[in-house]
Amino acid sequence: MENLQTTPALPALPRPSKSPWQIRNPKSTRSIILASVLPALASLALTFSLNIDGAIAMLTIFLPMQFAAASFVGFKIFGRKGVADAGLVIFTIFFSTLVGVLLMSVMFSVITEGFKALSPQFISQNNVYITSTTSLEYGGVGHAVLGTFVIVGLTTLVTVPLGIALAVYLTESRSKVRGTVRTLVQAMSGLPSVVAGLFVYAALITTGFTTYAGWLGSVALIPLMLPTVTRVAEEALRLVPVELRNGALALGAPAYRSFLSVTLPAAKSGIITAVLLGIARIIGETAPLLLTVNYANDTVLDPLQAMASLPTYIYQNLDSANDTSLQRAWGAALVILIFVAIIFTAARIATRSKTAKKSSKKVVKK
Amino acid sequence: MSVASETQKPVPPRRRLAVKPHSVQDKAFFGIARSAAIGAVAIVGLILTYLLYMSWGTLAKQGPGFIFGSQWSAADPENLVFQIGPMLWGSLLIAVSGMILAVPMAIAAAYFIEFFASSRVAKIATLIVDLLAAIPSIVIGLWGVGVFTPVASHWAKLLNENLGFIPLFNNDSGSFVNSPFIAGWVVAVMIVPIITSVTREIFSQLDRDVINASIALGASRSSTFMRVILPTSSGGVVGGALLGLGRALGETVAIFFVLNLSFEINWVEVVESRGGSIASMIVSFFGAASPEEVKALIAAGLVLFVITLLINWLAAWIVAKAQPWRQ
Repeated sequence: MENLQTTPALPALPRPSKSPWQIRNPKSTRSIILASVLPALASLALTFSLNIDGAIAMLTIFLPMQFAAASFVGFKIFGRKGVADAGLVIFTIFFSTLVGVLLMSVMFSVITEGFKALSPQFISQNNVYITSTTSLEYGGVGHAVLGTFVIVGLTTLVTVPLGIALAVYLTESRSKVRGTVRTLVQAMSGLPSVVAGLFVYAALITTGFTTYAGWLGSVALIPLMLPTVTRVAEEALRLVPVELRNGALALGAPAYRSFLSVTLPAAKSGIITAVLLGIARIIGETAPLLLTVNYANDTVLDPLQAMASLPTYIYQNLDSANDTSLQRAWGAALVILIFVAIIFTAARIATRSKTAKKSSKKVVKK
Repeated sequence: MSVASETQKPVPPRRRLAVKPHSVQDKAFFGIARSAAIGAVAIVGLILTYLLYMSWGTLAKQGPGFIFGSQWSAADPENLVFQIGPMLWGSLLIAVSGMILAVPMAIAAAYFIEFFASSRVAKIATLIVDLLAAIPSIVIGLWGVGVFTPVASHWAKLLNENLGFIPLFNNDSGSFVNSPFIAGWVVAVMIVPIITSVTREIFSQLDRDVINASIALGASRSSTFMRVILPTSSGGVVGGALLGLGRALGETVAIFFVLNLSFEINWVEVVESRGGSIASMIVSFFGAASPEEVKALIAAGLVLFVITLLINWLAAWIVAKAQPWRQ
């Protein structure tokens, strides 16, 4: 120990001008920027001077040039492994851009084309006396919005209690067949929507039991919505710590009270999310409604009759393949998109309030 | 243990904490839950038995030709022939070409969001991807008809002009619209957000320490991606991709508008203007169908359901296998 204390202090080394782990320096940044800009400019110039089709030029001139430039720079900075890195970077950016362009094209065209059709009367009027050549100043999707509300609302009324009770069965009870029940319910999510519609059509319409009716659409949507609601609600209930439940039980609460006053409030936001995601899942389903509800041009609120709905309204207008009706279809698509966006925002707010509560609890603990 | 050996008492098995319903209210509570479970199982059972019952006649009468043949004639009631070969093959062809396009795009986009983009860009991109995963397919179909068909048919024409010697891009008719190529793209656009969403979720759950360790050992970005990120997350990615495949197989209206249904089987000529899809066939035939034809359509739907079920179970199994910690 004493020996150690007597050793003279080492002289301080001079600080290196460049940190050894810092690979990127101003020079390499400059060459990276050059490598990303030059191939684009060169291939643009080539494309226009030789008059080549854009898609071909993209694949046969721009991508190889970009890859060569990126590999060169990668090799210069990182050595041999930089070449593979360049490949990965080009792969990622090319495909991500493709995804971005395609998805943005969907969003952009729905929004711009939809806004051309959107107006107060488009939201409020129905489709009576409207032919495919009637000007856009008349007629709208009011009947379809109301019809969608009725059909989806009926389905929600049935599915949400069923789905939550099912989630309770899967999390709270100690039954031995839970795994089988879960597998069977999740199997329902593999049911193609058109088959669900065909099932109801064959069972209730071709047998002459009833004609096209709104409630049949609601029935056909139940097996499509149930797996989503059950899965999300189950995850939400499972996130509630088991200690909370056991605490309530240890205090002498019966199981149903422990569920209603401890588990359910704790999982509230998750359950709300389950309902919202379930609605988002079925709000745009077209095929089942086509087979069971058909269309109506008038505002029908009676679920025992054929009704209009937003997806079938789009289908109807797309089918007549006329410029004005295509505009109407875009307008209806924008209305659906707005509904989906509202549902998503609501779900996001529901989950956010949950995290806020959690953090406030932590503060109390401290 | 030492206490137990001293007193020579065997250790009793650990008691499980379980609630047995005693009161009426508790019995009602668990009764409701149980009846919901019975109800849900009954729905599944009802759908399956009814589909089987309705399609049994057709399946027995048509035999294996129902799956493999390619003729559909309901005109002569004495000699009904229902065979879905081209439709089944078309469904698979479109779904697989959609997957070939969608999976690389989805992996690249997920990798971009999780490891490339700044947190702000990543947040917005995640939001958009999740929103688009919930977009109704008919909106994608509308986009496919109104916006994408001219672009994609131009691409198909270019492929045919430059690579027409490959049978894949052969086209004798000269018409490039309503082809499986376009339907495949539309389906890809539909499932890309779904696969991206799942893949991104899996990537975000990866242990950052493992990735940092790989970089600390001197691995480059690409070798970290190939040797660490992809192998660790492969199960989840494959599961997500199969989920997308299930969606693609059951897709109806988006394909209905961008595909020309034809009972002449189209093996691989994806840019030809003819193809098949079981779901679209059901929608286009049910209105004018006789009761026998409806039964045949139900049988076709059953085949589709069974295929989707198998794929979904495979996906669930792979995901569970790859992520045992999620149990």
